[in-house]
Parts: sequence; structure tokens; C-alpha cells
Amino acid sequence: MLSAFMEGKEHQLPIATTTTATSAKAQTKGLDAVVAMKALSKLGGFHAGYFRISLSLCGQALLWKTLSEPTTDSRALRLVVRLLPSTTYVLLWSVALAVLVALCFLYALRCFLRFRCVKAEFSHHVGVNYLFAPWISWLLLLQSIPAFLHPGAALYRVLWWVFSVPILMLDVKIYGQWFTEGKKFLSMVANPTSQITVIGNLVCARAAARMGWEEIATCMFSLGMAHYLVLFVTLYQRFVGCNSLPAMLRPVFFLFIAAPSMASLAWDSISGSFGTGSKMLFFLSLFLFASLVSRPALFKRSMRRFNVAWWAYSFPLTVLALAATEYAQEVEGGVSNALMLGLAVLSVLVTVALIVFTAIKAGDVLPHGNDPFAPPCSP
Amino acid sequence: MRQLARRRASRVAPRVHSTYSWHRGVSLFKMGREHKGGKILQTPSAGAGVRAASLRDLSAGIRGRFVLASIAGSRESERTRKIRGRDPGFRKFLYSMESKQRLAFHSEKGTGMAMQRNFGEVPRKACSFPEPGKPTPLRGCVPSKLVPFSVPIDRGLKFQMGGKEYQGSSSQSSPDPESCPSLFRYITSKSVAGFDVTPSPRGDPAFAEVPEATDDDIQAQTLCTPSLSMPIEMIGPHHAHSISISMPTTPSAFHEEHSKAVLENENGVAYPTGRQTHHPISSTAGLLQQKQAKFHSQPLPIGNSHTNMPPDTKLDHLVRPQQMPRNSRFKDKRYDSFKTWSGKLERQISSLRGKPQEPEEANDSKSTKPEAVPADRFFDALEGPELDKLKASEELVLPEDKKWPFLLRFPVSSFGMCLGVSSQAILWKTLATSPSTSFLHISPTVNLVLWCISLALMGIVSAVYVLKIIFYFEAIRREYYHPIRVNFFFAPWIACLFLAIGMPPSVAATLHAALWYVLMAPIFFLELKIYGQWMSGGQRRLSKVANPSNHLSIVGNFVGALLGASMGLKEGPIFFYAVGLAHYTVLFVTLYQRLPTNETLPRDLHPVFFLFVAAPSVACMAWAKITGDFGYGSKIAYFIALFLYASLAVRINFFRGFRFSLAWWAYTFPMTGAAIATIRYSTDVKNIFTQTLSVALSVISTIAVAALLASTVIHAFVLRDLFANDIAIAISSKMAKSSTKDDGRILASSSDTADVEATVDGHLLPVLSGEPMI
Repeated sequence: MLSAFMEGKEHQLPIATTTTATSAKAQTKGLDAVVAMKALSKLGGFHAGYFRISLSLCGQALLWKTLSEPTTDSRALRLVVRLLPSTTYVLLWSVALAVLVALCFLYALRCFLRFRCVKAEFSHHVGVNYLFAPWISWLLLLQSIPAFLHPGAALYRVLWWVFSVPILMLDVKIYGQWFTEGKKFLSMVANPTSQITVIGNLVCARAAARMGWEEIATCMFSLGMAHYLVLFVTLYQRFVGCNSLPAMLRPVFFLFIAAPSMASLAWDSISGSFGTGSKMLFFLSLFLFASLVSRPALFKRSMRRFNVAWWAYSFPLTVLALAATEYAQEVEGGVSNALMLGLAVLSVLVTVALIVFTAIKAGDVLPHGNDPFAPPCSP
Repeated sequence: MRQLARRRASRVAPRVHSTYSWHRGVSLFKMGREHKGGKILQTPSAGAGVRAASLRDLSAGIRGRFVLASIAGSRESERTRKIRGRDPGFRKFLYSMESKQRLAFHSEKGTGMAMQRNFGEVPRKACSFPEPGKPTPLRGCVPSKLVPFSVPIDRGLKFQMGGKEYQGSSSQSSPDPESCPSLFRYITSKSVAGFDVTPSPRGDPAFAEVPEATDDDIQAQTLCTPSLSMPIEMIGPHHAHSISISMPTTPSAFHEEHSKAVLENENGVAYPTGRQTHHPISSTAGLLQQKQAKFHSQPLPIGNSHTNMPPDTKLDHLVRPQQMPRNSRFKDKRYDSFKTWSGKLERQISSLRGKPQEPEEANDSKSTKPEAVPADRFFDALEGPELDKLKASEELVLPEDKKWPFLLRFPVSSFGMCLGVSSQAILWKTLATSPSTSFLHISPTVNLVLWCISLALMGIVSAVYVLKIIFYFEAIRREYYHPIRVNFFFAPWIACLFLAIGMPPSVAATLHAALWYVLMAPIFFLELKIYGQWMSGGQRRLSKVANPSNHLSIVGNFVGALLGASMGLKEGPIFFYAVGLAHYTVLFVTLYQRLPTNETLPRDLHPVFFLFVAAPSVACMAWAKITGDFGYGSKIAYFIALFLYASLAVRINFFRGFRFSLAWWAYTFPMTGAAIATIRYSTDVKNIFTQTLSVALSVISTIAVAALLASTVIHAFVLRDLFANDIAIAISSKMAKSSTKDDGRILASSSDTADVEATVDGHLLPVLSGEPMI
């Protein structure tokens, strides 16, 4: 019943998101000059933060793929997943792909037509981190690709390089900034969204490990973890960066969960088993999850009005559910299965709720004309 | 309502500087001299001319420097001044009396008093002072209320002393020769009930008598006599009156229509003075006003109660509620705010017995009812490495110079004793059972005895602390809000874990797994709270509260992991180990950075630094238990612990000179932990060096505990100061009201600048504020 419900909800997804996307597309391609101007001005506000949507959907696709994998013995939830027609998962994957393509197209348009906005975003301490998001989405989508493309295939490797190189370049840029540039050193710019950079490395490492490239995977993993350590300590010390985060962006605190979960997944893939290291990382993210959930006051201010930052809840929960799934494969027992079940259901529910909200309040989600990184780029 | 009143009070109160009134008075008289001849000082009839302001509320920080701003200045006293100016012997006498009186007020501790004259209206003939006749705005000196000066013995003389204070400074130059001061003729002991104004209806004629011819002289003298217009009438012999004048709390309201003047003779009959007279209402009105403004001072008791009491009691009655709150009569009320039931029960009982309830008390206890103390108050008001010493500028909500009830003096850090002793039990268990130390032939009985002792100690301390929770919950709350103390809330649970680890084999070989979950649950929830505060910021973010005692909140994870792993659990220990490791990394880096925003990090070495050793030494054992052997991970942690221990040990000289405190017990268990870890290491790497090291470290930790035990016994039974007043829980939740406005500003701004954002944002990162929503 639950599955049927979920399936039904998932079917809403194409309607909701593609309509918004197509309407935006239609606007940009409109012949009427006014409409074009309007669309262009909207394009200015279309920042990389919208890739939170694709991150969540691609994460969901990966979660469902992992759940439906026949690698281990069936559990309660997995049984349910198996009962679903396999087309459900394929459908979810293609929906995620469609949304990602649409978002990438819009962002590419923005790059061409509003390059100053992109530049401003690039030099912004929050905005720059979301430039990782499209590549992470693509890598997640690549990992959750249906059976027609095997990880050993050449196309798969090419795609990995295509999506990983931008992440590496951004890494070099941002991590270099942290310890060299005078104005952008870490204690100034650190904020929870900085963890997306780490997540990018870890996703790269996991995809590489899946392809069997042990060395590259370890390299990316160590690169990510070294900076994660620095970032974690800095974020806990609460310097300026965290406090400069507007209240609306509080949901990105959930990225605290995502980074260690993704690290545990990556280490699981590299080491071949969900060992003590992976467990520790998973438990850390579990603790952080409990810590965040137990202080709802932190998020109260951001929950007043729906906005695209809400999508930041979904992705970390999905990654946590993924890690819990891997953990439940390693440690068999009632508790681990309950944990997996609970987290998976939670992440699906949150994603569905966000889809519904987006469908209902599309107006709140769409950019409101001006670019958020206003000062240097107002037209 | 209370909020409003407090705001008003805080807005007004800091502006008052008790010495101000003096200078103000002087300047007024300077002005008056310029206007001489033309203007007529308008003074209200008889006694209403005096405003006495109790600056008690404002006096906390000005303890001792109170000012008798102005009393006297009457014709008669003018005359006497002249005389006294001529007569050095008399002057000396008066001066000594005055200083005695001052001493008396000082000893009553810190009540500032000021009496201000009221420049009201007076019949023209009554007064010939060359004074601008406008009502004094009295800006800057806002008396909250009248406090009557009660002069117990020889009141008239003392009253004159009050007037003499100015005289003392001015009399040197007074040239006017005159005969014996009329002053003495008028003074009788009856006349000055309290230092209050006691006008006589016949006072006006006395005023009128004074010729204007003496203006010059008067001016010459009043140059230094800021207050006056409160003439002899006050000391009139026939009708003694007590007056109570309630002052408005805001400067703008300082006019006659707001002031309430009550004249009463000793029979309780009210005489109208000034414009408004409130006789029976006056005290209640004053009380009302006081309630609004939340002043701690008490309204003037009305005349009837005066007359029924002997003079000494009168003094007590008048003064004690405000000035001597630690009088035994009020002792209980002072602790009410910390009591769980706030003493309501006792009050009800006493009212049942027919004892009239004094409204002041209820008011007082209400006004001292504390709210949640914000974290920055702890930083502002306290200092010292354990944040347990009061800064000079602050005041306590509990009496300072008196021993509080034992439960209030019993801090949560007492659980440190349990930590120290129970870790010793573990050490001796390890010594007895470890193969590497089997050559010592330690009997397991030592472990048993130590374990029983620590169990008993744990029981006692827990029982006392539970009593404290029951009876003084507010104290617990304040300890919990204290940025350092909160870490000690982990101590009881860690001590329980120690007891479980150090359990003698003869008592129980294995423990039920449920015990572990029971013990770890409170640690888990405390961690959710503490680490969450670090992460989500606010006043208790890590860059502000980081202190070595935070290790107590970390080490619980490792101890729990150790116990759980030795009980055979799998996932739970890894969970706590992971959480502990992550946050230990954060804390370690933060402590090493010694950020300028870390206000609580001790500048110098302090025994609290030994907590650095605790986490890695326990972590190495826990990791060895989790993985099953003393591998590289364990060894790395162990060597870190050993290095930190060594780096502290070579600086042992710096550890002298600190006041012993019960919390030191908590700092011995890291030594014991290092010793146990060394024994564990020597079982893995068994050679003569490791064995020597393990024995040496065990001896050191035992000696440390023994020394601590000795000093504890000395402090408990010889010096009897083991449980000193727990200053840290009794800070007031507001800035000390006594500071002047400027002081307050400075304090506030300093607390602001202590904020990271404030400084760094302003200087380095102006761009980041005003973030748009993205």
C-alpha cells in the first residue's frame, strides 16, 4: 500500500517539474520581446542552488537502485521494492535525468546570457559551492544508471572523466583559496554549504571505486577527507562564515549529515566492505542527524515560506538512508534493518513532500526576477 | 509589567552617581550667587524641602561611597556654621562625630544615601536665598525613594552632623562671628525620627526671621553647601515628624506633582506639605511604585510603627530591609529564589499562625526571582580558569559574606571525587590482573576495597546532589547553564561507567548489557545538547566556551566504548567511539588554537589541563577493545596521551599557587587513565622499560590521589572551607546596576566586542552580511 502510494507520488514528479521547466523554457524562447526580457530577468535569478532539486532526485534514484539490487538477502523494505515493477525505478531515473538536463540547460543559458551573474556567483562564498551540485548530480545519476550501461564500459569511464574533471578543477580553485587567498581564507568563508565540495570528491571516489580504479578513488577520498577534517573543525568552531548564512538557508545544515554518510559509502566502496571506518563515519552522521533533529528551533525561521532551499533537506537524508542500507547489509539484525527502513521511508517521504510543495507553490520556487548575488550584477 | 519596570529602572538607575548630588548642589549654589539679590528662593513650606533619596538600588557598586548630598542649610545652621567656622575645637568635634556617623553607615554596608532639596515654592517672605527659583530638574540624580536617616542616639546632633558635612568643608572661610549656635537649642532626641524631615508647623516664622542681610555670608558658605532649605524645623522640639517622600523614578517626573510628601507627627497625623499629601496611602503608594520599578529598597514605614518601637528597633526597622538583608530575619528569603518551592509553604504556615506578612518581603523575594541567566552573563560576571570567581564589578544574588545552606554550596563538580576514586579502583584491578604487572603481586582485595569506597562515595554524593535537585532546583539550573560547570554533569555517568569497569571479579564477573544502555543514554542526550550548542552556535559556540574541561564531555564516549566493548557489544561502542573521535578532533584543534575568543581558556597552566591526557589514553584502550588487539590505532592514541602527559609533567612547577577546589579530583583520573593505558601497553610490548613506566605512572597517580585526599581532609575538617560559597551559581542575571551609565556602556560594548562576529565582521568581512536568499 505504501509502495503504491509512493509510486503514485513519484508519478506526480514529471508533471510537476517538467511543467515548470518547460514553462521556463517556453518563456526564454518566446518571440515576444517583453516575454523574453522577463525570462531573461528570471534567468538572472536562476542560480546554482536550484541544483538541489536534481541532487535530491538523483540521490533518490541511487537509493532506489541500491534497494532493488539483488546483491544481498531480501529484507522487509527490499521485498517491497522488489514488488514494484522495475519500470518504476527506470521511470524515476529518467525523471531525474530529465530534470537535471532541464536545469543544466537553463543554467547554461544563464552562463551565456548572464555571465556576470555567474561570475558573481562564483565569487560568492555560498554560491560557489553549489557549482559542484550539477556534477555531483551527474555522477550520482551515472552510478544509478540502469543496467544498459555497465560500470566497466568505456562510455561509463568517459562520462566519469567528463563529470569528475570539473569537480577537480573547482577543488583546486576553492581549496587553494582557503589557505592562500587573503580575503577568502577558510575561517571567513566556511559555512555548511562548503561541505558540498567534500561531497563532490567523495562521490567521485565512490564512482571510481565502483569502476575498479582503486588508486584514483583513494586519491579522491583522501583529498576529500583531509579537507573535510579541516572544514568540520572550522564549522564547529563557528566563525564568521556560519553566521553569515541567512536564516533562509538553515536547511543546508543538513549537509552536516551528508558528508560523513557519503564518506562512509565511499570508504565502503574502496575497502570492499562496510568496515569499522565506514561504520564510524555512518555513526557520526547518525549522531549529527539526531543532533539536528533535536533542535527544530534552528530551522523554524526558514520554514515560514517555501523556497528552493528546502530541497536541501532531501539529499542528506537520502545519502544517510543509502549509508544505512549499506550498514544493514553488513550488520544483520533488527536494529540495523529498522534503521534502514526508517531512514529510507523518511527520505522518500521528505522527497515526495518537497515534490508536492514544489508542484503546489511553483511560484515560490521560481526565481523572482533578480539575481540573489545582486551587488555586482544587477542589469 | 515587571519587564517594563525593570527597563525603567535600568534606564534610570545607572545615571545616578551618588557623588553627583554633591557637585550638583555646589553648582546650583554658584548659580544662586550670580543671581543674588534679585531672585528669591522658593521653597515649599516647612519640611517638604528635603528630598532624601535612597540610592540603595544604585549603591551596589558604590559600596561605601555614599554621599550625604544635602541636608540642612537652614538659617539656624547657617548661623551655627559661622560659629563653627570660627571655633576649631567645635569643628573638630563635629568632624569627628561626622566621621563616626559615616563609619556607621559604612559598616551597614554600602547604602548610598542622598538627600536633595526640593526647590518647590515657598512664600516669598519665608526665604531669602538668592537662588534661581525654578524647580531643580535634578538630572542625573534620580532618587528612587526616600530613605529616612534613622539616628539612633542623639539624633539631633547627628542630624546636624549631616549638615555639618558640608560645613566641614566650607567653614574654614566663614568669617562671621556669632554666638553659640542656636542649633543646640532646637535639638531634642525626639525631634528627628529617622533622618527624616520633621518640619514643625511653626517653622515658617523661623524662616521669616532671617534677614536677607546675611546673603553674602550665606552664599559664601553655601558655595560649598549643596543642600539646605531644610532648616531647623526639622529639629523642632515640639512636634517631631517623620516624613516620607517618594521620588519618581525618572528625571522627567521629578516634580512636585509626582512626589509624595508625607508629614506626620508622632501620633500619625498627617500634615499636608507641599502640594500633595498622602498619609495612609503614602506607604502603599510608595510600595506600588517600588513594585513597578523593582527597587530593592523598601518604603518608609509609617509613623505608627515608629512610635511603638524603641529607637533602636526603629532604626533596624527602617534600615534593615534595605541595608542589612542578611539579617537573620531575612535570611531565608534570600535563598528563596533558589529553592524549588520558593518557600511558599513556610510563608503560608507563618500566615496561618497569624503572623502578618510583610509586603516588603514578598516583594523582595519576587524581585530577586531569577530568570535564565544568559551565557554571556557568565562570561561577563565571572573569571578564573573555572569561571568561578566573581569579578569585582559584579554582585551576587545571594549574600556574599555568609555561609549559604550546605546544599547550595555543594557543586556538581563534587562528582569529581567519585571519578578519582573509582578510576583508582580500576587501576588496582588492572595492576592485580594484568600479566605484565604480575610481578608486583598486588592483591585483588585492594581493588575490592577501593571499589567499595568509591561505591559508597558515589552513593553519598549522588544522594546529596539529589537532595539539591529536590530543594534547590534553581541552583542546578544555573549550574547547567554555566559554560564550564555543564561539563561536570557528565561526571556522575562517567563515574558509574568507571564503577562498572572497575567492578571486582569477585562481585560480578559479567554485567548485563542493559546496564550499558542505561548508563549511556544520559551521556547521549547530554552530548546532543552540548555538541548541538557547539554546532548551531549562539552564545555557547565552541570558539567561545572551549576549555579543557570540555574533555569531560568527550571522554564519556571513550569510556562508554571501552565498557561496551569489554562487555562484548559491537555496534554501540563504535557509535560512541566515532562520535567521540570526531568531536575530540574538533575540541583538540580548537584548544590548541587558543583562539582569542576563548574567554575561558586559562592563560596559565592549571590542573584542568590534565584532562588533555584523559581522552587519548582512554581512547587507546577502547580502540584496543573494539578491534581486539592493541594495534596501530591504539598505539597512536596511547603515544599521543603519553606525550601530552610528559609535556604537562615537565611544567609541574606551574601548577602551584592555585586555590584548591573540589574539581581537582576530576583532574586526577587522566593520570590514572594514563597509568592504566601504560599497563595495557606493557602487556602488549612487554619489556623492562614499559613495566617500569607502568609502575611509575601508577605510583604517581596513586600519590596524586593520596595528596588530594589529604588536602581534601584538611580543607574539610581543619580549614572547613571545602564547600565554599558557590559563587558561580549566584551571579545576577543582569548587569550590576550600580555601575554608572558610562560604565554600563563600556561593559556592554566590551561584551559585544567579545563576539567574534562583531569584531571580525566589522573589520575583515563587511561583505558577508546582508546575504540574499539563495
